[in-house]
Amino acid sequence: MSRRIILAGTVILLLIVGLAPVLSMLVKSLFSDGRFSTEAYQGLFTSHHQWTLMGHSLSLSLLTMILTVIMGVPLGILLGKSDLPLRRFFIILFVIPLLIPPYITAVSWVDLLSGNGLLTGWMNPGFAGQVSRLLFGLPGCVLVLFATYLPIPMILTIVFLRTIHPGMEEAGRLVSEWNGVVKKITLPLILPGVFLAALLVFLLSFGEFGVPNFLRYTVFPVESFTQFSAFYDFKAATAATIPLAVVTFLLLVVEARFLREKTYLISSTPEARQSPIIELKNCRTWLLGIVALLGFVIVILPITALIFQSGNLSIYKEALRQAGDSLVRSLLYAGLGATFLTIVGFFIGYLIQTKAWRFWKAIDSVTVFLFALPGTVIGIGLISLWNTPKTNFIYGTPLIILFGYLAKYTALTSRISVTQLAQIPPTMDEAARIAGAGWIRRMILITAPLAKRGLVAAWLAGYVFSLRDTSITMLVYPPGHDTLPVRIFTLMANGSPELIAALSIIMIVATLLPTGIFWMISERIDRPVIR
Amino acid sequence: MTIIRLDSVTKFYGQIKIIDDISLKIKLGERLIILGPSGCGKTTILRLIAGLIAPDEGKIVIEGELASENGQILLPPEQRNLGMVFQDLALWPHFSVAGNIEFGLKAIGMPLRERKIRIMDTLKLVGLEGFAERKPGELSGGQQQRVALARALASRPGALLMDEPLSSLDPELNIRLRKEVLRLHEKSGFTLLYVTHDREEAWALSNRMILMRKGRIEIDGSVEEARDYFNRDLLER
Repeated sequence: MSRRIILAGTVILLLIVGLAPVLSMLVKSLFSDGRFSTEAYQGLFTSHHQWTLMGHSLSLSLLTMILTVIMGVPLGILLGKSDLPLRRFFIILFVIPLLIPPYITAVSWVDLLSGNGLLTGWMNPGFAGQVSRLLFGLPGCVLVLFATYLPIPMILTIVFLRTIHPGMEEAGRLVSEWNGVVKKITLPLILPGVFLAALLVFLLSFGEFGVPNFLRYTVFPVESFTQFSAFYDFKAATAATIPLAVVTFLLLVVEARFLREKTYLISSTPEARQSPIIELKNCRTWLLGIVALLGFVIVILPITALIFQSGNLSIYKEALRQAGDSLVRSLLYAGLGATFLTIVGFFIGYLIQTKAWRFWKAIDSVTVFLFALPGTVIGIGLISLWNTPKTNFIYGTPLIILFGYLAKYTALTSRISVTQLAQIPPTMDEAARIAGAGWIRRMILITAPLAKRGLVAAWLAGYVFSLRDTSITMLVYPPGHDTLPVRIFTLMANGSPELIAALSIIMIVATLLPTGIFWMISERIDRPVIR
Repeated sequence: MTIIRLDSVTKFYGQIKIIDDISLKIKLGERLIILGPSGCGKTTILRLIAGLIAPDEGKIVIEGELASENGQILLPPEQRNLGMVFQDLALWPHFSVAGNIEFGLKAIGMPLRERKIRIMDTLKLVGLEGFAERKPGELSGGQQQRVALARALASRPGALLMDEPLSSLDPELNIRLRKEVLRLHEKSGFTLLYVTHDREEAWALSNRMILMRKGRIEIDGSVEEARDYFNRDLLER
């Protein structure tokens, strides 16, 4: 009974904070003066502007997806399977841009390549002008999103490489060189992971709001945000989210049909530690050079630019004076968000992994759909549902921000939980059951401790994604409750570049420091806890 | 006195009939061994009796109480007063040896002082005094088997279910632990329901034996009857 109540409560919570807002938004947009009306959608397929937006959105997502996959998969193979030096260091280095809000990376590239940027200052004025024009547009957006999402195919490649039984590659090595083995055996085996990475990058780029908004490239999320915040035209804003929702839905149908079974439970084969390593031999030095150069250009150079741009320490004092309160709130909300996400994700993950309900697939699909849905859609949905006098105790407080985090990021923590729970032998729970323990007792004393590594990973993922969130928070935060990413975003309009750069560095430290500490803790959680 | 009764029990996994209309009575204090090849349904019988799965047809009665019937579990596993040793032992790695044993005692609401005495008694019974604070990962394979036995026996269950617990051990340790199981049975007098695919193990442990094939009982009798059946079967082949 207790199991049914807790799981039902968790699912109802997810539906209330996630699905209900999106549905409410849709329903409201279909009524005008109390009557059913499709007025908001009439221009959707006929207006030239809408098709331009669609072209922009698709170009940005497709180019980012192609570039990240082309670079990320070989990079993943090099870092996950070769004898390239400093592999661990490079993995951490390339992951950094994914952890910080993408528009901060955009800020750093503007510091480098805008009209009077740190690099363009050294260039011929004509050429510098061309570079700057390219930055503010599609190429600049692709560059920033490429740096941000490159870790996705890289990490998924590394993870999927660990699922390959070493015998398969060793059998290939007996008859072929590594080139042939990678092409004919390794790549086909990790192909579901590559497709999953491509899909994820496409969806995340498709829903990205901060970067195109900052680099002045109009895409659907920017249009939706502008219609809502500048013109307060709720219906136009909703209409602009529809193509996003439809494309997201269609891609997820494809994912569910062709990919989900192959990518759902990614668990390393026990023999993965003995997986054969590609010996790079003569290529080792120049490949190291290329990887180091890539890491320098897309990670170190932009962060260094921010440090240079911020100037001296006094600007950091000023930055903290102007945004210290929002920094504290950011950390608090991200911590709370991560905790709720871990708990909700754990129960949803349990429900999915044990197939406790007949509708487990539908619940899983809802979490994935909400994750893939652009933040602006969820943000507008939350406003649509909760902005009423009766629900002001939610809408007028930071609870609405936490609702947004729960709606968008539960898929992350539930997927991590599913993977972790799948690794616990069912006999662990069965033994406790036969010993006389009820469900809650078994959850607290057996399942959760055995899943603690996954719980820490889930918390960490929840923390990072809540902390870097801009699109939902920007739309729903109550007055006086803005977070640091939102404060930086709003200060961009009239703050000095030095101040913005200093705030961006503070944001990066606020993300990386706790992440690093928790990561080190999770690395140490190999041994069982002491009772 | 019958402690466990199965009446016309059938179980499907998908379209496949794993258990086919099995009826069985297990008496108090009996040492019943279920022998059969992989996939014949012997583990499924234990899981049905434990209440971890429900029979699709038929009923299961435990200590006079209707426990499962026609797809429904009426008496959940935690209320069946059974102990079970799993094939993979399923020792909880985050608890100490004492913690593993104590878990079930706490769950049935035994007071602390009594629990402590019971843990020490049980450890003594399986010859693991002095190992109470060790973690399962710090023990040898044989010691882990004893912890699993101790955990299953600590709450003094009506019957002990053992699912191929010695199958992963080397032959020498296997023989030693068989003797240990016999000694414990003699000392405690519990009803033992033991599943194995190893004939030697079965001959050594049973005072009643069931031979299973394709979800059905082929022989239910003494060790000698089972041996005769095997010999005939071999000759006929």
